[in-house]
Order: sequence, then C-alpha cells, then structure tokens
Amino acid sequence: MRKNLSLIIGIVLVLIIITVWVMSFVFMPYNPNEMNIPNKFLKPDLQSEHILGTDNFGRDILSRIMYGSRNVLLVGIGSVTLGTVLGIVLGAVAAMAKRFANTIIMRIMDGLMAFPGILLAMMLVTVVERGIQGSIIAISIFMVPVFSRLVYSMILDTENLLFIKAAKSYGSTKSQIFFRHYIPAMLPRLITQFSSAIGSAVMIETSLSFLGLGIQPPFASWGLMLSESRQFFLVYPYLAVAPGIAIIITVLGFNLIGDGLNDILINRRSHNE
Amino acid sequence: MLSYVLNRFKSAIVVLFVVSIITFFVLMIIPGNPAELILGTDATPEMIEDLHVAMGLDRPLYQQYLSWLLDLFKLNMGKSYVYGESVKTLIARSLPVTISISVFAMAIAVFIAFFFGMISAIKKNSIIDYFSRSIMQLGAAIPSFWIGMVFIVYFGVKLKLFPVSGFVPINQNFIKFINSIFLPSVVLAIGEVGTLLRIIRSSMLDSLKQDYMDMAKVKGLGAGKIYIKYALRGALTAPLTIIGMQFAKLAGGTVVVETIFALPGLGRLVLTAVEHRDIVLLQGLVMFITSTVIIITLIVDILVMFLNPRIKSFHQGE
Amino acid sequence: MSDTVVLNNLHIKDGDNTLVNKTSIVIEQGEIYGLVGESGSGKTLTAKAIIDLLPEGLNYTADKIITAGKNMLIASSDEKREHIGKNIGYIPQNTVFYLHPMIKIKNQIGDGYIYHMNKSRKEAMEKAEVLLKKVGFENPKTVLNYYPWQLSGGMRQRCNIAMALMNDPKLIIADEPTTALDSTVQRQVMELFGAINKELKISILLISHDLGLIKHYSHSLAVMYAGQIVESGYSKTVFNNPKHPYTQLLIEIIPSLKIKKSEPLAEIPGFVQEKGRDADGCLFIKRCPKAMDICKEYVAEHMDDMQDHYYRCNLE
Repeated sequence: MRKNLSLIIGIVLVLIIITVWVMSFVFMPYNPNEMNIPNKFLKPDLQSEHILGTDNFGRDILSRIMYGSRNVLLVGIGSVTLGTVLGIVLGAVAAMAKRFANTIIMRIMDGLMAFPGILLAMMLVTVVERGIQGSIIAISIFMVPVFSRLVYSMILDTENLLFIKAAKSYGSTKSQIFFRHYIPAMLPRLITQFSSAIGSAVMIETSLSFLGLGIQPPFASWGLMLSESRQFFLVYPYLAVAPGIAIIITVLGFNLIGDGLNDILINRRSHNE
Repeated sequence: MLSYVLNRFKSAIVVLFVVSIITFFVLMIIPGNPAELILGTDATPEMIEDLHVAMGLDRPLYQQYLSWLLDLFKLNMGKSYVYGESVKTLIARSLPVTISISVFAMAIAVFIAFFFGMISAIKKNSIIDYFSRSIMQLGAAIPSFWIGMVFIVYFGVKLKLFPVSGFVPINQNFIKFINSIFLPSVVLAIGEVGTLLRIIRSSMLDSLKQDYMDMAKVKGLGAGKIYIKYALRGALTAPLTIIGMQFAKLAGGTVVVETIFALPGLGRLVLTAVEHRDIVLLQGLVMFITSTVIIITLIVDILVMFLNPRIKSFHQGE
Repeated sequence: MSDTVVLNNLHIKDGDNTLVNKTSIVIEQGEIYGLVGESGSGKTLTAKAIIDLLPEGLNYTADKIITAGKNMLIASSDEKREHIGKNIGYIPQNTVFYLHPMIKIKNQIGDGYIYHMNKSRKEAMEKAEVLLKKVGFENPKTVLNYYPWQLSGGMRQRCNIAMALMNDPKLIIADEPTTALDSTVQRQVMELFGAINKELKISILLISHDLGLIKHYSHSLAVMYAGQIVESGYSKTVFNNPKHPYTQLLIEIIPSLKIKKSEPLAEIPGFVQEKGRDADGCLFIKRCPKAMDICKEYVAEHMDDMQDHYYRCNLE
C-alpha cells in the first residue's frame, strides 16, 4: 500500500502536541503564571533551568507553552465538536424536513458561510463575554454551516442506497435509520472534515487571542504569548519562536491528517466504482 | 444563459438579506444599554433615556431592523460612537488601504501559484513538485501574525529594506507606496498561495491528460506553445473561480496583518469597533465587507462562465 | 523509391506486461497500408510508437524505427519533434477532445503550419480554407469560426483530416478514421484518402478493425493479433491466398450483400488475451480451428520474397 506521507507526518506532529498537553497535567517545570522579575528575559539554553528561556515577567516559557496547549486544544477541539454536533443535527433536520423548514435552514447556512471567517468570529466575540467560553461559542458557530451542508448533501446522496430503502421498508423509525445506517456511512468524510476543521479552529483561536479577543490572562494561549512578545520582539526575538512553532506544528499536524485521510477516501472511492 | 445569471442574482440577494438579518440581530444581543455605553459613566438616567429614544432604541426590534435596512439602501450606515464620524466616511478612508494590500497580495499569490503550479504539474513528482507541495502545506499553517513579526524584524529593522509600519497613499509617492504595502501583502499572500497552487496543479494535471495534448505534441509545437496555449487554457476554470473567492475572503480577513503593520485599513476599524463595542460601526462594517464578498463572488462566477465558451453554450439553451 | 516507414522488431511493455511483440512493418512510399486487428491487438500502440506518441508509462524498444526518412531511434527530442510536426499527419480515432474545446478552429488548425513552415497567419488561413473545402465543407470560413463542440462528430473528423494535411506531410496515420461516422460520411472520407494518396503520393497508414474497408482501399496490409503481426503483404496477395487461420476467419466474416437474411453473421468465439503475449507458442491457439500440438511451443515464420507475403503459422 502506498505510504501516505501526509498522514504519517500529520499524526507525528499531533502526537507531539498531545504529548505536550499531557505533560502539562503531569509535570510542568514551573508555574506558568509565576512571575520572577529578576530572572526576566533569560535566553533559551538547553543547559539551564529554563530550557526555552523566560519572558518579560520572568515566567518560564516552556511551562507557558505547555499551559497554553490546554486552552488552545480545548477551544480548538471543543469548538469543532460543538459545531459538528450542531451541524449534524441541523443538516439532518434540513434533509428530512419539509420544503419550508429545509429552505430556511439552508439559507441561514448560506448566509453564515458568506461571512469571512475572522470577521464572523470577531462579530460573535463582541456579543459574548471574551474568554474561553466566548471563543468556543464563536468558533463553533463558524463551523456549523460546513458540517450541516456536508451532512445534508450526504444524506440526500445516500437516500437511495439499497440498505436505507430496506431499513425503511421494515419499518424502522426515522431516528433509528439515522443512527444505525446514515451515521456510519457518513463517518469517514466527517472525520476528515473534523480534522481539517481543528486546524482552522486553532488558527482562528490564536488569531483572536493575538488580537486580545480570545483567551484572556491569567490563562495562557500561544496567540496571547505572541502578542505579549510584540513589544520586546525587536530586542528579544526568541520570545516569539516557541509559540509560533507550537502553532505551526498544531495547525500543520491537523491539516495534514485531514489531507491524508482525504487522499485515502478518494482512493478508496475510486476503487469501489 | 440569462436565466442562469438571473438565478445567481436571486440567490445572491437572498444571501445578502440573510446576512443583514444575522448581522443586525446578533449585534443587538449585546448586554448593556447602547445609549449608556455611548454617554459614559457620568450620564444621568434622564440623558440616557433621551438618547435611548433619540436613537430609536425603544421601538420593537423588527422596526429597528427595517429602518436600519432602509437606511442601508440610502447608503447611510449611521454614526460611529467611538470616532464620532459617519461610518461611511470611516469606511471610505480605510478602504484604499485594505484594497491595496488585498490586490497586491493576490497578484503575488497568483504569480507564484501559477509559476510553481504549472511546473509542478508538468514535472510531476520531481524535486520542484515536492518543494511546491510542501510550500502549499506550510503556507496554510503559518500564522500570519508570526511571519509578519519575523518579516518586520528581519527586513524592516535589521536590513532596513522596508518600513515597519504606516501606509503611504498611492498618489503621494509611488515607490514609498509599494514599500509600505510590500511586506504586509507578502504575508497575506503566503496564506493564500497554498490553496491556489493546489488547484492550479490539479487542474493542469487534468488538462495534460486530455487528448488535445496529443494533438499539440504531434504538430511538433514548442514547449511554450504546448503548455501555455493548450494545457493552461484547459486548466483555467477552477483557478479563476478560486482566485475570485480568495480575493473576496482576503478583503474580509486583513485584521491581523493590518494590526501588526499598523495600517489604517478596514480590518483595524473592525478591531476598534469590537474592542469598544461600537455596534453601529460594527454593523456597518460587517455589512459592507460581507456584501462586497458576495458581490465579488457573484461577478467572478458570471465572468468565469463567459470565459469558458462551452459552459456558456451549455447554459445558452436556458 | 525509399520506404516511408521501416519498423523492425518493436516491443512495447507496460511494466512487466508485454503489449506488442516482435512487430515489423515496411510501408513503401505512396502506398496505403492497412493495419488490421480486433481492439486490443496493439494497432494503435504500434502506430503511436512510430511517431513517439506513446503515453508515459510505457516502454518500447525496436531494432529500427525509420519514419518518413528519419531514424527515430537516434534523433534528439527536438529533431523528432520538428520532423514529426513537418512530415507526419495524425488523425486519431474520433475522440471528442482531440481538438481543444476552448479554442476556435481557426486558432488551432494552422499553428503547426505557421510554426514549421514559417508562414503568416493569413497564409495559414488561406490554406486552411482550401483544405477544408477539399474535405467537403461548403463554407470553410464559417467552420473556421466555430468551436469544436459546435460541430458534429463527422465534421470534427474532417477538420482533423484537414489539419493533418496542412504541412503537406509525407505520411498520414489514420486511426479508425471511419468508426463513429455514418456511412455516407465514411464513404466521403475514404474517397478523400484515396484521392490524396493518388494525387499527392502521400503514404497512409490506415488502422481499422474493418477488413472490408481495408480490402477496398489498401495496397498492402498487416494483420495483428494479441500484439503480434500474424500475416502481412500486398493486399491482393493476402486476400487471394490468406495463410493464417485468423486472417481466413476475418475474411469469412466480412459482411457481404450476398448473405441471406436467415443466416447468422459469423463470429470468432473467444477474445484477445491481455497477458502472456511474450510466450513462444502461438497466441491464437485457443481460438484457432486448425491448432496443432506443436503450436503450443513454436511458431514458424514464412516469408515469400517474391510476393512479399509474410505469415507466422505452423501450417504450410
């Protein structure tokens, strides 16, 4: 079988981030919020106590990266999950509903998709309280249309498949059909989309935090770390390296997994035809 | 064909309508009293009440929506409470900045994407191909703010090649203008190149498989003719559509870059509006930007249809 | 008079799988050479090998490939490209996308002419009009302004022919030029080929599975089966005295007006094999009514120098 390079690299990268995440609960070298002014602006040094250095408040950067991973992943995965579930529900309802409800739902989805991503997120963040919850809600709403459309079209496509007709013929209820038949059929594509969506979600979250609209202190986020480093960037460029790389690894990882899965799906489908 | 165009118009209008509803009602949910926010903390309850009525905030929501919508048609977007100027003026002032970097960014992205996309397809699986595909992936994963900062430090400060902030209008000094938008446009382009390159590469690969490539080869034409006149021409439909969409998306997503490079564009206006909860400004901005996106997408779709004579004829019977 | 095409011992492989084996063809100047066989017999691949048009995945070797006077095996890519563009006209099976759908006829029919013959666009359009008239269009100017999808299959095929003639080629390769055309147009096209062969002395490699067509129009022919040539020679000779059982069967099944209504049309049961084409024994063995035991391992080759009649069979 042809080795799927994207998938492998993607999984490796995501595993790195997950390791960091797990470590943040098990062992953090320092308290991420503990300020230690005399020790500020220490350069990264593999030999020293602060492997990645310290920031302008003397806080250990490695610990902050680990701590930040919690929230970034929470928002990234949480918002996509929420968006997916809502999307599936709406898509299914739209597919199985009558003309009127169907049109209204799909038109709203069209409307939501017309907003450029960041703009929608910023607009929603204005309304909710800024912070972790706010980001999750804002980003999840952004994700809903994509998933609802996907589910909607997949349901319509598979409606005519034999096993669905068979199930209908022996009288299963609508929800039974849905859970036992439709969902397994849609799972591969949903998972692919899910993974790519996490990549986008993390990107949006870090952008929001960077702008000050997302995760707020005392919590940490890589985007927040980057914006905090801006003032000192000219003198201490190393401050931005770690959070930047963390973001790149995470987004790249999830995107590559999504792409890799997509390749497999396409190949499998063309074999089946 | 006319009926196809009309249909697209119809859906665009419906979407615009939905967008306006979403924009208006979402922003009305904000906790707190707008009048109170505007007047600040030393306002008396009577002043607040007066302003409340004066702004029409005591009317039922749907009435407020309708009057807002009607005002929109008259191109009146209200007055920003943060700036004290009309939203229209603010937008007009910031628009040139955002347009400049969007257009320049698209130009850079298109150039790079076509160049590498075509070569990748023609020399499939070569080193250049792998290189291009890696760029594709990286570009999408690199946060624009990060690379923006890196550029500023490296090109702006260390090498002193470009200014680190500020915008110079095009009519003031052309060279300085290009200088001031160069870095931000490159940063924006990095985000877009990936997708475009992928589409161009895959369209070219499809086109190269077609029978007319045999024809070009058998006629013994030179490489340039073969690849540009025949292969590329058959591969343009998808890329052009995507370019249109990306351009529209760019126009709405310049916030971060404008913030880093201190460019007074639409994105920064949005940020200010969000930070200060300036509803009026925000509503106007969001409507403006999103409408522009929808209209540009519509125009691109229709243009692409004209460009491909076969699709045009396909719809001609309608 | 030198030969237009000399092909000696062509092998075409797709990875490990042999598609065409030990194929040799000689086309004399000014003759119409038919290449006959069922689909999958390797006729198109052989023709494409002669003009270096094989798809990328396939490998081919040959002792000699001389096309329109040029040794294709030692020529550089650029030389080959120029030689083919100037001297060869290729008319494919009637595929829909051979002419570029987004380009008007006038903008694609003449570019080879302008490039190789150093002509101006005006001269190219003039010549195109002349040729389009020759292939039977009454209004060449209108046709030039059309897109390919505005024309019918037969009209497109005629445009392909006109395009192939632009550079006054020495050799034309016509691959199933009449399939998918209705019979009147078929006739027109074949008469046209006959005419240009007679008048302009252009050699034509005519590929078809229709033996009746080949019988009527070709001077020489070769019969291919499963990637090999089983019989070849002057058409008259081969039709008068077919030596290979496959050829004999093919000739039998040519529909003729004399068939009575109640008689079923004959057919050869079985189908052409895809794999194992490099075996030593005869590949026709499973379908051959006259097969012998020895045919499994060995096939004799016979060449009658006087008549130029070649066949591969253990029968005499």
